[in-house]
Amino acid sequence: MKRAFIVTTATVAGLAGVLAFHTQPANLSLTGLTGTTTPGGGTSTTTSTPTTTTSKPRTTTTTKSRTTTTGAGTGGAKSTTTVAPTTTAPTTTIATGTRSAVGELVNYNFGVLSVKVTVNGTKITNVTIASIQDGGNFRSQSIDQASIPILESEAIQAQSGTIQSVSGASYTSAGFQMSLQNALSKLGL
Amino acid sequence: MGTVVTFDLYDDRGFFDEAVDVAFAKAAATLHEVDRVFSTWKPESEVSRLRRHEIGLERLSEAVLEVLDECRHAKELTRGWFDPWALDGGVDPTGYVKGWAAQRALGELAGLGATGAIVNAAGDVAVLGRPGAAESFRVGVVNPFDRSTLSCVVEVTSGLATSGDYERGAHLINPFTGVARASVSSASVCGPDLGLADAFATALAVGGNTVLEMIEDVKEYEALIIHHDRSWRATAGFALVSDVDVSG
Repeated sequence: MKRAFIVTTATVAGLAGVLAFHTQPANLSLTGLTGTTTPGGGTSTTTSTPTTTTSKPRTTTTTKSRTTTTGAGTGGAKSTTTVAPTTTAPTTTIATGTRSAVGELVNYNFGVLSVKVTVNGTKITNVTIASIQDGGNFRSQSIDQASIPILESEAIQAQSGTIQSVSGASYTSAGFQMSLQNALSKLGL
Repeated sequence: MGTVVTFDLYDDRGFFDEAVDVAFAKAAATLHEVDRVFSTWKPESEVSRLRRHEIGLERLSEAVLEVLDECRHAKELTRGWFDPWALDGGVDPTGYVKGWAAQRALGELAGLGATGAIVNAAGDVAVLGRPGAAESFRVGVVNPFDRSTLSCVVEVTSGLATSGDYERGAHLINPFTGVARASVSSASVCGPDLGLADAFATALAVGGNTVLEMIEDVKEYEALIIHHDRSWRATAGFALVSDVDVSG
């Protein structure tokens, strides 16, 4: 099964559509899932390295998995994302060049996390989890932004057996979004 | 309000990677275009301009006209419980557009000749074909009382949309009273048009049992509502493949 992620984001602060697109192997390594909400069950994040193809017992029909970068440029950035400030026109100029910021720690379903965003001018080039704590150990790792929403649904899928998707869950948890917005506002975006 | 849309392509025919990338890119472009035209967060979008009365009906694009038509249809079918014109600030078709956009984007994968694909746009799910030779798609519905678990699993042959009081945004407004409050904890609707399913789910979330009875009469659409007291009701044909468990 091949999976692609597209993110559209419109923040309350008024940023217009941010669109990221990248493809990813279906086999995110999420071992040790028990489908529970206890912190122990959430430790799947520690082994998640999305750029590798670690096998995981998924019940879907899995095709060959590969990592494909779709963004232009040499940095290997997977996302092509643009941020367009809205017409509450900032009077200050946005700095050019590559900059990063980490948003505040926020609660998400299993613990706390913070989001790191990297921009080049007004263009988001990367969004990652800067830190994540799921009730136990505090660790930093670079997890593809999509992993957290997937984690939420993976836990659910492990609980339920053969399902292919989940309805009713906004895939971006509120906490993730808040931290992302916070990081963007630190960059003046 | 971040929205992550995922596309899953189920196919063992080994499409060329490039073909798949092109299909995914077209799907992304479709969503981007819809965002550009319909986003109420974008002041320069066509819908934003319409809301400010800067553009007349005769100047609207086909896409917007089509969506407004469908919204009118949904409003009739729900006897006004779904009413994008009842919101402050002007017409807001967002309750329909999300599902409609996801389904159009899925069409790009259909164009590839895919025999199985699923799109999930922030919880609205549309499917194409089958995940495997002898299976149907099975979609879980989040338990509104414990969002790390499911309330049930549904067999989905076209689309499934869910609304609930856990949603952010101002779309769950009772059009008759103006009160922004969901009268049920969760409402799920299955049907061939994900935009309409989305609209029905929105109407159910504020109208509860009253709207459920209307959906019962709409061919090809089935619904499930979960009440605040954890009781639940479904239309006769709602394709549950599990019990409904909202013990949370």
